Amino acid sequence: MNWVVRFLMISRKQWPWMTAGIVLGVVVIAANSLLMALSGWFIASMSISGSSGAAFNYFFPSAGIRFLAIARTVGRYAERLVTHEATFRILAELRVWLFKRFVPLAPACLERYAGGDVSGRLRADVDALETLYLRIIAPIAVGAISIAVALVFLLWFSPPSALVMLLFLLLAGVGLPLMVRRFSREPGRRSALLAAELRNKVTEGLQGVEELILLGAVERQAALVDDLSSRVIVEQERLGRINGIALGGMALFAGSGVAAVLLTAGMQVAAHQIPPPNLVMLLLFSAAIFEAAGQLPSALHLLPAARESASRIFELADAPIPVPDNPVPCGSLPTDHGICFSNVSASYHPGKPVLQDVTLNVPDGGSLVITGSSGIGKSLLVEILLRFRDYQGSITVGGIEIRDLSKETLIGMIAAVPQRPHLFNGSIRDNILLGNASADEEQLQQALRDSALESWVAGLPLGLATPVGINGSAVSGGEARRIALARALLKGAPILLLDEPTEGLDATTEREVVSRLNGRVRAVGGTTMLIVSHRPACLELGDAIVRLERS
Amino acid sequence: MTEHSEESIDGITKRDNSAEGWLLAEARKIRGLLASIIALAVAIGLLVVFQARLLATACQRVVMQGEGVASVLPLAGLLVLLAAGRCLCTFVLENRSAAAAARVKQTVRSQLYRKIQALGPAGLAGDEAGPLIETVTKGVDELEPYVTRFLPQLFLAAILPLMFLIIIVPSEWRSGLVLLFSAPFIPLFMILIGRGSEKLHRRQWSRLSRMAGHLLDLVQGLPDLIIFGATKKEAGVVARVSDEYRSATMAVLRVAFLSAFALEFFATVGTAVVAVLVGFRLLWGSLSLGEGLFVLLMAPEFYLPLRNLGLSYHSRMQGVAAAERIAPLLAKPLPEGFAGSLLPQSGPPAVLFEGVSFRYGGNRGGVTGVDMDLPAGSITVLAGESGAGKTTLARLLVGLARPESGRILINGHDLTLLDADSWRSRLAWVPQIPYFTSGTVRENLLLGRPDADERQITTALEAASARQFIGDLPFGLDTPLGDRGAGLSGGELRRLALARAYVRQATLVVLDEPTAGLDPENERLVCQALEKLARGRTVLVISHREETISRAERVAEMIDGRIERVVSSAEFLSMREVAA
Repeated sequence: MNWVVRFLMISRKQWPWMTAGIVLGVVVIAANSLLMALSGWFIASMSISGSSGAAFNYFFPSAGIRFLAIARTVGRYAERLVTHEATFRILAELRVWLFKRFVPLAPACLERYAGGDVSGRLRADVDALETLYLRIIAPIAVGAISIAVALVFLLWFSPPSALVMLLFLLLAGVGLPLMVRRFSREPGRRSALLAAELRNKVTEGLQGVEELILLGAVERQAALVDDLSSRVIVEQERLGRINGIALGGMALFAGSGVAAVLLTAGMQVAAHQIPPPNLVMLLLFSAAIFEAAGQLPSALHLLPAARESASRIFELADAPIPVPDNPVPCGSLPTDHGICFSNVSASYHPGKPVLQDVTLNVPDGGSLVITGSSGIGKSLLVEILLRFRDYQGSITVGGIEIRDLSKETLIGMIAAVPQRPHLFNGSIRDNILLGNASADEEQLQQALRDSALESWVAGLPLGLATPVGINGSAVSGGEARRIALARALLKGAPILLLDEPTEGLDATTEREVVSRLNGRVRAVGGTTMLIVSHRPACLELGDAIVRLERS
Repeated sequence: MTEHSEESIDGITKRDNSAEGWLLAEARKIRGLLASIIALAVAIGLLVVFQARLLATACQRVVMQGEGVASVLPLAGLLVLLAAGRCLCTFVLENRSAAAAARVKQTVRSQLYRKIQALGPAGLAGDEAGPLIETVTKGVDELEPYVTRFLPQLFLAAILPLMFLIIIVPSEWRSGLVLLFSAPFIPLFMILIGRGSEKLHRRQWSRLSRMAGHLLDLVQGLPDLIIFGATKKEAGVVARVSDEYRSATMAVLRVAFLSAFALEFFATVGTAVVAVLVGFRLLWGSLSLGEGLFVLLMAPEFYLPLRNLGLSYHSRMQGVAAAERIAPLLAKPLPEGFAGSLLPQSGPPAVLFEGVSFRYGGNRGGVTGVDMDLPAGSITVLAGESGAGKTTLARLLVGLARPESGRILINGHDLTLLDADSWRSRLAWVPQIPYFTSGTVRENLLLGRPDADERQITTALEAASARQFIGDLPFGLDTPLGDRGAGLSGGELRRLALARAYVRQATLVVLDEPTAGLDPENERLVCQALEKLARGRTVLVISHREETISRAERVAEMIDGRIERVVSSAEFLSMREVAA
């Protein structure tokens, strides 16, 4: 139940909404049961009065019936609105919480889960948690409270009836749900797992459709999807059958409970312990109160799947932060921006060292090009400098060890084009302005010129407002890289890290980008640059060139 | 009575009906199951009638006739039996429902996925993968409540109230009249309110998929957000988007719940009127408590199927919204030009482009009037600046798109006349960014040829100079690649893709920038692999790298979508030198 507590803590700001929803739920059930009880008593009293000729004041009971009818109808509407409002508020809270949790985990931790799956998990599991309050917490709370209140009511009018109802309500409200929970735990867990797997296979199949077609592998992929789909559906069907047991069991216990009350209350009437109309009242009340117990099995039915989703989300969120931020950052700030690597080692996977004892020096305002064959760890150099991954040895910026700086301070000094820059689904302008949201038009144009984009952008009908598509799918790889370059230049940071800035460009464009970049760096002055590339054209960017070799 | 206005109304409803019509046609395929569901629900209705009758009789005996418990004991026993009967019927009904749902979901998902696959890139232009994935997975699930809840309820709302009315009238015809005349208000209000919320509901669906896509986009771009210090701001955006989603959904629900409210209101008023009627008839002594109580117990049951129908209206909207996304996809015509049946000849093909044109919309480029030949068994390099149309030409050759005009001849036969599958089985294609599944290295290598044996794998890896780095992986060939081939460098992934093409043993090989982004050492390795791969095959390589060009026989240079010239590679390189 830890995960429920955790969930409640994350959504604690929404407790007032959650409580209000539960209170309204209890009010509705109470109004409905009392309405039935009062109507039954009223009718029986009218009948007795009719046959015996005794006077009967029907004004108060009928006013009560009207009031309860309104309370039930309005209460139900309000309950629905409030519980859903609470649900969506919780949902928003959860999404933000998760996003913030993910930030320190990126990219080292997140990529270990399949990228498609991170988003799939995020989407599907957060959606599943949405049911936690609405379909699990609220019904269980409402059901339990209502049953307790109802038993007190019965105890007041007919203790023996209260006793037998306690038995049947326990059977229906606790026994049945426990059994359902036991049966549905495994299928629920499996269906959640399989659904995630299905989403993965569908994602792969649709994103890679071109190559799968050309590789003649589409039919196999479709068969995989079919197979997973049928396995998910088998589990869903199993859950549906268990739901049938729950609903059927409820009908059985409710019917038997009413029959039992007929006997206990009937005996009391025969013994003149309670007035005859109370028999009808107790019968109708008992029949109505099973509505409260009726919500419990379906709520507990959903519990295993919800727990599965919740634990997956919390597991992901609790993954150890790969590079924790320094809690006590060093007070002094770097005075210049020279970068020094001494005896640095780092790796992607523990035990598989990639960089070993690397020593490099980029003087303040200088530039260094690092070349070397692929897989040698050039990109890793950039990533450890950005504190995306940890390192052994020493890296200093302006003489201060970067471990001792807060990540915010460090990142504030650096602009970078990573190995695989991501373009966000928005316009070219949005993507470039990410570098510096407060940049003016002139700075923006300058960045476009410096990354050799201005003529391409000018030729687009929508210009800077052209959408780049999801994952930059509407622009070519070379264009995407130059947009990422413009974004980095716009930031205007003193340190510039470029990982293959000209990849995907043809020779002419490449030469142009290099010369513009050179011009820009000369013009601004004082920019410390670290360029990772193996393209001969890029060598021009460096004052010095270092070639990484294995070991 | 203007015909025009009638037509326009028809036009509006027709569009909605086509999706629901498709859904109904799907449901018709399982009408046997649906009929059994309805029959079981009617049986449960009859058991409810008996329960009410027994309960009313018992009360009559104890309250009015002062009889002891002994006289109601058999009635109590019968009540328990009836409850057991309801239990059984309910269980079987839910079983049937689950089976019906399973049948519909399985068929639709399989059809839908295959259709999207068959439409492929040529047929799906403009559709983004995210919402499509959502439709195949969650969208199909959302058909379930329509088929298993809404449809049966629709029939039950017609059958059950009528059945109850026929049973009530002999006991109390006045109350029967009240019920009969109050009933039509319920569907009326339901329709009035349902109309408005349907429109809102449709809008909400698009909002949901946009919200899902937004979060995915941000999570994938987290490193970039960190570099530019934008994570705090974007967390605010996540909050805003979720909040907008909430207010939009609540606007839908406020209306949707209003219909439930109206239903409950009318049912309550109707029951109250019946109670008053019955109460006074009892007070006047003109009705027995048994009959009166029976009518009172049946009054809510009379309204229940109508209310259930109202509640399942949400299921209908959800189902129709999903159907509106699924049905048009299923109805989409397959791209033309893929219905050929000729089998390609074996051996490396000779290719001839004749006036081939293909334009993307706007000024996104394409190719215009391309004439070029690729002799059988030759290596041709396609050179030119980015955006000159090289990739487009390659895509046309492998048949991912069809020329708008002109034709591509394979050994003298128009490519569109060839059987698409057999043509594809003859070619290997390595795009700029090769696609890998999250499965193991081995699974990815064997994608194009699952039956390749260990020796063929080794040869392919050897040829692509990929043995070394794969040996370095923690589990060798059985290492999972993860979503983006995590852990392997760009050059390594490229070589893996080459090895995959090698395993495929195709006769035509098309490579898009196989050496882009590689250091000289890797470039040399890849070029060696390429030479091995090219032996006995027709090869088209897009590249502007000297190392690659020098290994080809001919170079075709593209400028602005046209073939500028086709020269020998030596000639091309010397011209380039002169230009530089």
